[in-house]
Amino acid sequence: MQPTNRVQPGDRAPRTAVRQKVLALAIGLFVLVGSRASAAQETPPRGNSCVSCHSTQLDQRLVNPTRLFGGQDVHREKGFECVDCHGGSPASPDKASAHDASGRIAAMAFRGKPAGQALIATCARCHSDAELMRSYAPKQRVDQATEYAASVHGKRLAAGDTKVATCASCHGAHGIRLVSDARSPVFPTNVAGTCATCHADEKRMAGYTLADGSPLPTHQFNDYRTSIHYNALTKGNDLAAPTCNDCHGNHGAAPPNVGAVANVCGTCHAVFAQKFAASVHQPIFDKGCVECHNNHAVVKPSDQMLSAAAPGVCQPCHNGDDKTDKGAAAAGGMRAGMERLKDEIDRSGALLAGLQNAGIAVSDQQLALREAGSKLTLARTEMHGFDPALVAPILGDGMKIVAAVDRAGQAGRAELSFRRRGLFLSLGAILIFVVALGLKVRQIDRRDHERQAPSATV
Amino acid sequence: MLGTDKASLPVAADATEFDRRRFLDALLTVGFVSTAAAIAYPVGRYLVPPASGEAATESVVAARVKTLRPNSAAIFKFGSKPGIVVRTADGEVRAFSAVCSHLDCTVQFKSDTSQLWCACHNGTYDLGGNVVSGPPPRGLEKFIVNLRGEGDDAEIVVSRA
Amino acid sequence: MNVIDWVDERLDLTEVRHFVAEKGVPVHAQKIWYYLGGMTLFLFGVQVFTGILLLLYYRPSAAEAYESVQFIVTQVQFGWLIRNVHSWSANLLIGLAFAHFFSVFFLKSYRKPRELTWVSGMLLLFLMLGFGFSGYLLPWNELSFFATKVGTGIAGAVPVIGHFSLRLLRSGDDVTGATLSRFYGLHVAVLPAIASALVALHLLFVQRQGMSVPPAVEKRLKPGERLPQMPFFPNYILRDVLAWYVVIAVLAALAAFYPWELGTKADPFAVVPPGIRPEWYFLAMFHTLKLVPSHVLGIEGERLGVVVFGIAALFLVLVPFVDRRASRGESSRFFTVLAAAGLIYLVTFTIIGHYAK
Repeated sequence: MQPTNRVQPGDRAPRTAVRQKVLALAIGLFVLVGSRASAAQETPPRGNSCVSCHSTQLDQRLVNPTRLFGGQDVHREKGFECVDCHGGSPASPDKASAHDASGRIAAMAFRGKPAGQALIATCARCHSDAELMRSYAPKQRVDQATEYAASVHGKRLAAGDTKVATCASCHGAHGIRLVSDARSPVFPTNVAGTCATCHADEKRMAGYTLADGSPLPTHQFNDYRTSIHYNALTKGNDLAAPTCNDCHGNHGAAPPNVGAVANVCGTCHAVFAQKFAASVHQPIFDKGCVECHNNHAVVKPSDQMLSAAAPGVCQPCHNGDDKTDKGAAAAGGMRAGMERLKDEIDRSGALLAGLQNAGIAVSDQQLALREAGSKLTLARTEMHGFDPALVAPILGDGMKIVAAVDRAGQAGRAELSFRRRGLFLSLGAILIFVVALGLKVRQIDRRDHERQAPSATV
Repeated sequence: MLGTDKASLPVAADATEFDRRRFLDALLTVGFVSTAAAIAYPVGRYLVPPASGEAATESVVAARVKTLRPNSAAIFKFGSKPGIVVRTADGEVRAFSAVCSHLDCTVQFKSDTSQLWCACHNGTYDLGGNVVSGPPPRGLEKFIVNLRGEGDDAEIVVSRA
Repeated sequence: MNVIDWVDERLDLTEVRHFVAEKGVPVHAQKIWYYLGGMTLFLFGVQVFTGILLLLYYRPSAAEAYESVQFIVTQVQFGWLIRNVHSWSANLLIGLAFAHFFSVFFLKSYRKPRELTWVSGMLLLFLMLGFGFSGYLLPWNELSFFATKVGTGIAGAVPVIGHFSLRLLRSGDDVTGATLSRFYGLHVAVLPAIASALVALHLLFVQRQGMSVPPAVEKRLKPGERLPQMPFFPNYILRDVLAWYVVIAVLAALAAFYPWELGTKADPFAVVPPGIRPEWYFLAMFHTLKLVPSHVLGIEGERLGVVVFGIAALFLVLVPFVDRRASRGESSRFFTVLAAAGLIYLVTFTIIGHYAK
């Protein structure tokens, strides 16, 4: 009889069987855990035949929607499912009945991947329904579809152009995030990039023209990125700074009419729009603010712009060499005044700093000098009325303030001289004492000397 | 020495010597006293605390409660920058930096809207220092307000947060 | 009965009276150098006095130091005078201390029996430099911040204990508000305590042993001949006071015509201003270290420089014990030459350091 613990031929099978079972268990566990991990689902959609079928497809175009929709998506989080937009039957295991287009099996007929007007209608079915939206987001607007119809995109779509943007082009279709989510393509800092996806693409924009027939430009995004608005938005953390939709509209996107530019800029830059509206340039400028400030590449303005000689923006309408050109003269005069005030403020500030360094209290004067700086800012605002008679008084006020500060500075310097004079007096007293002491020392010496060797005269 | 009476010379010499010594001592006393005064006077004045109390880096007395009617404000100096102390309609006292975050103009209080307003480009802030409208990119720096004293006579002490 | 008699009845001032009556100062051609020590002492007193006055308003924190100095200078009555006198007197004090040191070095006053006076004096000189270095940081302006950074960095170059000393000085790895607090403590408490003790010792030695007479003068004396003596009270003391008053006048003039700058408040994150360098009394050493090549025989240049200076300092302290010839009363030409070389080196390198880019 052979010992039972020795390996026999044929023993391999049981061991292999065990190993196979362990392997199968391991694979099973792995798949289970892996599928759980990769799905990252918080709440699996109830009708999950769409997901279970689509997620196992080989074509990634069919897998992506389930992946995105299963991730962070505002609709799914509110309880919506695939069929709420696409229709079809969520419980059917086979494609034919799941994709039921007749509406007999499913509550809503399957409509496949909506595009063009059908896509607008799909979104608008809920988002234009005020009563429905009230129960989800009462403050949210419900007129996006109406606005869209008035936009260039909407009008072109109605005319049959399928290349234009629709809801999904900007918001996405699956994995939609709230506008307030920083990763949303329509979060303020991302808007320009989203618009640029099409509008900076020359191939895509080929064939489109402006109203005057010239080809639609594609450099707006690059221009915008040089602007102070873009800088304020992305680096200055000022989400109120304008991006594409602030001037062109959101859903009703269309370039502002030529005459309306000043109104658009004036939404934020109200004071400048006001001054400009009362100025001589208002009826003349076709493009309003854009004539001087550009529409997309709006850079930080400087006093250098106010000139009829390059790099000023008053030319080529105004000629700096023409002595009879009143506009050129006005520009030159206003600019000279502003630059003079700026220089005076700098000079006075340096003087005060010097006094402070020497030990005179000047914080009152420094405070007053800031008001002169405010006058300079106000003058630059007033300049948009293009009337030197309005700008000059403000500059004059500024110069008066600087003069007052200078007078106070003089008082500071007088204090310094007073200190020196006081010191001279003390030096005088010290001198008297030193001389007296010197004489005293000599006297004592002489007395000692006489004591040791008394004068022979006595 | 010069042919004068020898007997009288030492006395005369002694007398002038004595006078000279007296004069010198007097001069010395005057000199010493004046130089001592020239040192003691500045030192004495130095020891007396100045009116401004202490270096106004951390806190400053902005105003007295009684000078601020409800729904009004006053500008005060904090270091070398302006601040604004506001008394709201229900009597609460708040203080902010009066430097507009847009282009450094000095803001003012508008009693009709109970808001802080910048005249340069129409920037508006609410009474929490937050931007309501206009170009300012950030709110106004908020200061801490403490009252020192009793009732209407109390001093409004503003400190940096 | 006058005050002195009243005290005499209680504390027996016989010894004091005797001392006052008998103490004399030798009169000879070189006696002018005797005044330097007293002038240095006077300026130390001025520093203590103005320093205490500044203490009443100064705040030793990074947030408030600069503003408090600004406050003293602009708001406090005559604060500008006290602060300027303190700053100028510091420089004059170190200058006079060096002059006193060199005069003693040249005139060989360190020789037996005055070795301990020399040692205490050398330690005092180093203390004065320490006062200058620690006090310089206190206004917390840009220049002082970076000068301290550079200076403490050099201290870190000392071998073995360098990094530890740097951390000890800086109260951390970098120059921060903690450094300010530590320097403040050193400047107003630690150094004054040590200095007062050493000054007391130094003065005690001088009073006990009297003024040293230069060897050249001694040699010219005939055997048994004594130098004429000037009574300490009142002749010498009045001359001393005269010198002090001249110093006061100089200080007052400097304070009025060359006020000490406030500078800009220190910003630890700002870039080091180009051409940063220490005050003039460290300039020679600083510039020498800058000129040493980065590596000499495998040793880091700065480290070598610091070690050499350390050895030189130690040597200077031990000069009375090394200069045997002077102790024996013989002429010690070598040490005269050494002193001259030291003086020329210091003056030259200070000037070069000042004008170097």
